Amino acid sequence: MVEAPMTVTRRAARLGLYAILAAVAFIYLMPVWVMLITSLKDVEEIRSGNLLSLPSSLNFDAWVTAWGSACAGSSCEGISSYFWNSFQIVIPAVIISTLLGALNGYVLSFWRFRGSELMFGLLLVGCFIPLQVILLPMARTLAFFGLANSTPGLVLVHVIVGTGFTTMFFRNFYIGLPQELIKAAKLDGAGFFFIFRRVVLPLSTPIIVVTVIWQFTQIWNDFLLGIVYSGAETQPVTVALNNLVNTSFGGKQYNVDMAAALIAALPTLIVYMVAGKYFVKGLTAGAVKG
Amino acid sequence: MAALTIENAVKNYGQGDILKGINISIESGEFLILVGPSGCGKSTLMNMIAGLETVTSGRILMGDDDVTNVQPKDRDIAMVFQSYALYPNMSVAENIAFGLEIRKVPKHERAQEVERVAKLLQIEHLLDRKPGQLSGGQRQRVAMGRALARRPRLYLFDEPLSNLDAKLRVEMRTEIKKLHQNLGTTIVYVTHDQIEAMTLADRIAVMKDGIVQQFGTPQEIYNDPNNQFVAGFMGSPAMNFIPAKLAGTAAAVTVEVTDANGAVQQLPVPNSAALASQIGNEVVLGLRPEKITEPLPHKEADPMVTHLPMKVLVTEPTGADTMVVSELNGTQVDCRLGPRFDVTPGAAADLMVDMSLAVFFDKATGERIDR
Repeated sequence: MVEAPMTVTRRAARLGLYAILAAVAFIYLMPVWVMLITSLKDVEEIRSGNLLSLPSSLNFDAWVTAWGSACAGSSCEGISSYFWNSFQIVIPAVIISTLLGALNGYVLSFWRFRGSELMFGLLLVGCFIPLQVILLPMARTLAFFGLANSTPGLVLVHVIVGTGFTTMFFRNFYIGLPQELIKAAKLDGAGFFFIFRRVVLPLSTPIIVVTVIWQFTQIWNDFLLGIVYSGAETQPVTVALNNLVNTSFGGKQYNVDMAAALIAALPTLIVYMVAGKYFVKGLTAGAVKG
Repeated sequence: MAALTIENAVKNYGQGDILKGINISIESGEFLILVGPSGCGKSTLMNMIAGLETVTSGRILMGDDDVTNVQPKDRDIAMVFQSYALYPNMSVAENIAFGLEIRKVPKHERAQEVERVAKLLQIEHLLDRKPGQLSGGQRQRVAMGRALARRPRLYLFDEPLSNLDAKLRVEMRTEIKKLHQNLGTTIVYVTHDQIEAMTLADRIAVMKDGIVQQFGTPQEIYNDPNNQFVAGFMGSPAMNFIPAKLAGTAAAVTVEVTDANGAVQQLPVPNSAALASQIGNEVVLGLRPEKITEPLPHKEADPMVTHLPMKVLVTEPTGADTMVVSELNGTQVDCRLGPRFDVTPGAAADLMVDMSLAVFFDKATGERIDR
């Protein structure tokens, strides 16, 4: 009666909302869909067929080639070894930068000292310095330490770049924890690291999840640092993918390129699918309390 | 031997002193309460005793040891926080045993201690639960258990009951008093609740503006307050402050009040000698509500007692007593009457004023002038 027109407008609004969401989802998912179907076609089918036509049969040859025998530059071994390179960079870099961030955040929240706020401010500046600015000095530094073109060198760079962000995450989360917990632990006789390990870290699960996802994605997807600081043997998968796509003998093998790109994107996709729920939860938990 | 001595303690955060030279000393086994309105510095003082705040100047001693610059973890102090501060990731048993674990007490001794404390506080059935699964009162018990398990030299309680509902607060108050009586522990307890202070303490330090206004036993604080602030802060309903003029002779000073009929009456004062020099001056008479009552036959002969017709403005029966709001010298005064005495609002009633514990304050400074 009185409410009927309201319901109609609200229903229309809701419908419009879903239409927009669907359109946006379509725009974002379309390229992925095209990549997927292209990777399942053979070269002949790609050339003769339509971009959007479905593959005539499920053909995983391109995936096998991309993994094991596609040519990137002069070597023709696929992207498998570079895929593992990425893991060798990402895993230690994520663990170290997350632990450092947790420790920094703990100090900046619970063990304030003269100038600790300034320190935090400087770390935040570090988050927003464009990476291009540090390329040359960092190259000199890595050379000085004998780490140029090596996996430990890349790990070091990623740890340094990432620690600003991880510190910010943990600090903003810990600020929301009750100070009295730390006071209680101090009076119970616990020292600096004991409190960190037994009281603070067990309460940090949400923010650890956020930080690990953030760092994993950042480091896995990094191209700039990877191409500048890696050697031929230590290239991460993003750099190898670029080389593979830019290397062509005869015709372009779009199916192999697409398969390689999907393989390279798979780990971050899986991380999001497994832990994405915690990512959103952790981010908002920190935001509300901080 | 003094269990805790605070000598001239000053705290300064850079914009003036928060604490201005605190001197307090308590014996082993005593229950000290720091009480005062918010912002008086009582929590800062407690944090300084705990070692969580630095001392700007002055000393803090525990027994004969100067602990002014000792880390909190080395002070052998346990504290119960207002928010309880239980470790959310540990079970109740783990919370209680945490301090013992840090001090490397063997596992079976820890288990024994947890059992002893749990029994003492009747929380045996909660030992496996996490703090999140407990009610407020249960958390309060666990927080106390955590403090008791270590058997420290000194216990600190920081407004431990203020997060509980009224009924539970009274129960836990009794519980804490019982524990103190049974265990003979030395306790420093911060509260803004003057009833908690009166009921629990062996000694009370009433604080305001970073200064200890008075340090003494509950009876001293209640009956012989140093100044108008202490007199007004302790006691509920608060002491009546009646502006009045001193009269009489040096040998028998009196204080003038105007009764319900407009007649000026002379009330006797307990200590004429101290007030003789003030005759003719306007002062503040401090009189507790329970000293203005219905006529009590057994007191009739007391020279400090006077009958006074007083106008009844409001009556508030509480069951045990009837609080009557009346008027003297243009100021509202509270009187505590027996429940059976019949008074009618608007009419005058014949009341009895007992001046034996009346106190007098300087009108300008609020300091005591009659001792």
